[in-house]
Amino acid sequence: MNIDINDNICNENLFSTLFTKYSKSLHDFLYYKFGESFNPKDKVQDAFIKLWENCNTISPNKAKSYLFTVANNLMLNEAAHQKVVLKYQKEKPKTSTNETPEFILEGDEYMKKLQNAIANLTEAQRTAFLLNRIEGKKHREIAELLDISTKAVEKRIYGALKKLREDIEGI
Amino acid sequence: MKREDLIKKWLDNELNVQELEAFKQLEDYDDLVQLSNSVMQFKAPEYNTSEELNTALQHINSKQRSKNWLRPVLRIAAILALSFSVYYYTTTLDTNISTLAAQKTEIQLPDASQVLLNAASTLTYNKSDWETNRDVTLEGEAFFKVTKGSKFSVNTSTGTVTVLGTQFNIKQRNNYFEVICYEGSVKVTHNTNIVILKPGNSFLLIDGEIIAKEKETASNPSWINNESSFKSMPFAYVIREFERQYNVTINTQDIDLKQLFTGSFVHNDKELALKSITLPLNLNYSLQNNKAIVLSRE
Repeated sequence: MNIDINDNICNENLFSTLFTKYSKSLHDFLYYKFGESFNPKDKVQDAFIKLWENCNTISPNKAKSYLFTVANNLMLNEAAHQKVVLKYQKEKPKTSTNETPEFILEGDEYMKKLQNAIANLTEAQRTAFLLNRIEGKKHREIAELLDISTKAVEKRIYGALKKLREDIEGI
Repeated sequence: MKREDLIKKWLDNELNVQELEAFKQLEDYDDLVQLSNSVMQFKAPEYNTSEELNTALQHINSKQRSKNWLRPVLRIAAILALSFSVYYYTTTLDTNISTLAAQKTEIQLPDASQVLLNAASTLTYNKSDWETNRDVTLEGEAFFKVTKGSKFSVNTSTGTVTVLGTQFNIKQRNNYFEVICYEGSVKVTHNTNIVILKPGNSFLLIDGEIIAKEKETASNPSWINNESSFKSMPFAYVIREFERQYNVTINTQDIDLKQLFTGSFVHNDKELALKSITLPLNLNYSLQNNKAIVLSRE
């Protein structure tokens, strides 16, 4: 076994590379899974600091799963089985002035339904679905992040979509 | 292509042109697009990677620095704590003074109280809390001249002697416990008995029995003047005292050890002392060697 000095996370450059590569995904993962009430940004920081403290014992190719596991556990310690309600931005991306008040009201109602429906998804479904829809991640990328198969990701996302539609339409 | 597959492909952005057309023909196309667009509004808050990285790096560096100065400080603290505890331990240790057979010593306690320790005796006391707690433990025999002050207690295996400031002698040997008060007053606690002794009074306990004694007229015990004196004392205790004073063993063979002895022997002349304890009882003695003496009837 050859040990390369660059293969050590204790090197600040490599640490920065890992941070740039994974921190956003990790943050988004935590946000979509647990919501914002438990401060996903702080958990990302904590996880990376923990990684740094244990940099001697973790090889770089294990770093990603280490980070996700640690951050997830940090969250679970606090979040233990609380219902996650994600907030939607009140201002719509494109506001057109010629919308009737009724239409706006309908839209608002729709968003509330959607919010409830998202909260009712399982953590696994919600995380995969939102990473895909909002962050535009491919199934393969999500599979890599979560250490699961592409097939499983597809199943979760499709399942989520199906459940959302059922919930919204009140079937 | 099946509807489900179309949707799945759409979800993964993998639809080609014809498939996209087919997808648009689905009756719930509008709903799907609306859902997909609406979901966008649940976007996670902006995450500024480089800013967060800086925070993390700062944290790491400050942690390292704090570790750097923390280590030597911890070391110094550990050494200080260790030396302090050693100092504390040694200064609060009990002071222990013992005499061997044929040995006497004089002890000055921290408050200038005086203790004369007879042969083969041990006195233990604690210097550190002497101010509040004048407590000593005695095994054997000692004469105390206590200066006035707070309560002064002498603990022995048989009983406790408490005084305020006075002169008294305690002798505690095997089944023998004797307290003689020479000045002031002395409180003796033995089991549930409490006896207060006035000058000249004594408290004598042999084999658990309290024995009445006549009033003591001397102003201090004779042993501090190198003489042991006895009044109506079972001979066995005289023999034992002799053994302690001269560091010898005495073989008494068939002599009656219960007979009472009144008299004294000196501590600095073995021949004379032997005569003093044998002649009154019509006994012979023979010195085997330096360490052994045999007594026999005439």
